Amino acid sequence: MSKHVIDERTIEACRCGDSEAFRLLFEACKDRVYSIALCFFDGDDVTAKDVTQEVFLKLMTNISQFQSRSEFSTWLYRLVTNACLDRKRALRRFLFFGSSREIEVPDQRKSAEDRYIQRELEVLVRAAIASMKPKLRIVILLKYFEDLSYDEMAVALGCSKGTVASRLNRAHQILARKLSHV
Amino acid sequence: MFRKHVTRQMSAFLHGELSAGEKLRVEAHLQECARCRAVHDEIRQGALLASVLSPTMAPESVWNEIHEARMAPEGWRWIPKGAFASLAIVAALLVIFFLSRTNVPEGPSWEVAGLPGIPRLRPGDALETNASSEAQVKIADIGQLTIAPNTRIRLLVTRPDEHRIALDRGKVEALTIAPPRLFIVDTPAATAIDLGCKYTLEVGRDGGGLLHVTLGLVALEFSGQETIVPAGAFCRTRSGAGPGTPFFEDSSAALQSSLDSIDSGKEGPERSRQLEIVLRESRVRDALTLWHLLPRVDAQSRGPVYDRLAQLMPPPPEVTRDGIKALDPRMLDAWKAIVSQLWQ
Repeated sequence: MSKHVIDERTIEACRCGDSEAFRLLFEACKDRVYSIALCFFDGDDVTAKDVTQEVFLKLMTNISQFQSRSEFSTWLYRLVTNACLDRKRALRRFLFFGSSREIEVPDQRKSAEDRYIQRELEVLVRAAIASMKPKLRIVILLKYFEDLSYDEMAVALGCSKGTVASRLNRAHQILARKLSHV
Repeated sequence: MFRKHVTRQMSAFLHGELSAGEKLRVEAHLQECARCRAVHDEIRQGALLASVLSPTMAPESVWNEIHEARMAPEGWRWIPKGAFASLAIVAALLVIFFLSRTNVPEGPSWEVAGLPGIPRLRPGDALETNASSEAQVKIADIGQLTIAPNTRIRLLVTRPDEHRIALDRGKVEALTIAPPRLFIVDTPAATAIDLGCKYTLEVGRDGGGLLHVTLGLVALEFSGQETIVPAGAFCRTRSGAGPGTPFFEDSSAALQSSLDSIDSGKEGPERSRQLEIVLRESRVRDALTLWHLLPRVDAQSRGPVYDRLAQLMPPPPEVTRDGIKALDPRMLDAWKAIVSQLWQ
C-alpha cells in the first residue's frame, strides 16, 4: 500500500506545477482515497476509480490555496467526502449494480483459514456499511481507513465534533445490529 | 442519584476522544447503569466489526487518466477517454514499473503532541524537532516517546507484532509497557530492541550514540550479535563497529575511560594497559562489563578476562577456561545465566 510522505516541500513543488511532486503526492494518498470510495460505493470499482480521479484533479487544480501540510490533509478528506456524496446523489437517478471486485493485500502473518474468515467478515461489514445513509457511511470510512480524530473529521465533514460522535454512534449500532448473528 | 445517561458519548469514549474528567464520569456511570452498559457493548461490537476493514490498492489506471487530463490542453479535457487509449497503455506500463518499485508497508498512525501542524505520524513519515521544540509521540498503545530538540525520527513500521522507528540523529526517551521485542529503534550504528523498559538513546552527527537504560532491559543488536544493557547501565555505539561494551553508571571513571579506549579499537601495548585497568577496577557488579568483553578482545587477552570474571562471579562447573577462550557459545550462555542475576 502507499504511504504518507507528504511534506511542505512536496506541496510547495505541486503549487509550482512540478509534475514529479504531484506524482509523489498521488502515490502517497491514492490507496486511501480509493479505499474510501470503493467501500462507499459498495465495491463498485469503476465509480471508485472515477471518484479518485476527480479528487486528484480537483486537488491539482486548487492546490495553490494550501498553506500547510495539516491543512492539506483536512482538505483532501473534505474533497473525498464531497466527491462521494455528490456522486451518490447523481447515481440516485440510475439503477446501480455494483461489482465487488477488489485487489486485496493478503496479510502474510495469518493462516489461509484466518484470511478466509477475515475476508468473509469484511464482505459482510462492507455490505452493512453500504446499506447505511451516506453521512453515516462516510464517517465510518474516515475513522477506520484514515484513523482521523473527531476534530479532523469535523473539519473534513463541515460539521461539529458532537455530530461526528453522534453519527459514529449510530453507524456502530447499525453495524452491530445488522451483524449480530456473526 | 446521577442519572445523566452517557450513551451519546460511547463512541468517543471507545475511541479515546474524551477528556480525562469525562472519561472518569463515563466509567463511573457505566458501573451503575445497565442501560448505558448495554449501549456501550453494542457500540463496542460495532467498532470491532468496523475495524476489520482493510485498505485496497488503487488500480494503476487511475493515474493514467489523471495524467491524460493534466497533459491535455484546457479545451480537450472532456474529450472521450477512448481517444487516449494508446497513450494510456504506454503510461500504464510506466506506472506499473514505478509502482512495483514503491510497494511499502502501512499501519495505523501514532499520535503526536507538541509540534503544531503534525498531529499524527504514519509509517514512512519523518518527524523533526528544531533547537527549541520537543515532541511527545504515543507508540501505538504500548508506550510513549519523548523527542528531544534537534532530533529526527522516522516511523518505519507499526503493527501489532512490531513497532519500529529509525533515529537518524538527536535523542529520544522511550517508555514502554509491552511484551519484549515489540518496540525497535534502528540507529546508524545498532538496533535497540526494547525488552520492557525505559531508556534514552542518543545519536550524534557521526552516527555513533549512547544508550542509557533506566528501567528494565534493552538489547543492542549488530551483525547478529546481541549486547544486553540493563537498568543503570550505559552502552556507547559506533557507526560501523556496533555497540561497545556496556558498563554500569556507578562504575569507576577509570574503568569507563579505559573501556572507551578499548572499544575505540586501540591496539598493541596501550590496549593491554587499558585492559589491565578495566580488570583491576572491576567490582562484582561489573561482571556485566567483563562478560561482554570476552568476545570483544583477542584470544590471548581473553584468559585474564576469564580469570577476573571467575573471581567475581564463578562460572558453572561445565564452563572451562579453554572453552571460554575459544568462545564456546554454550559455555558463554551458561555463564551469562549466572551473570544475568545482576539485572534480574
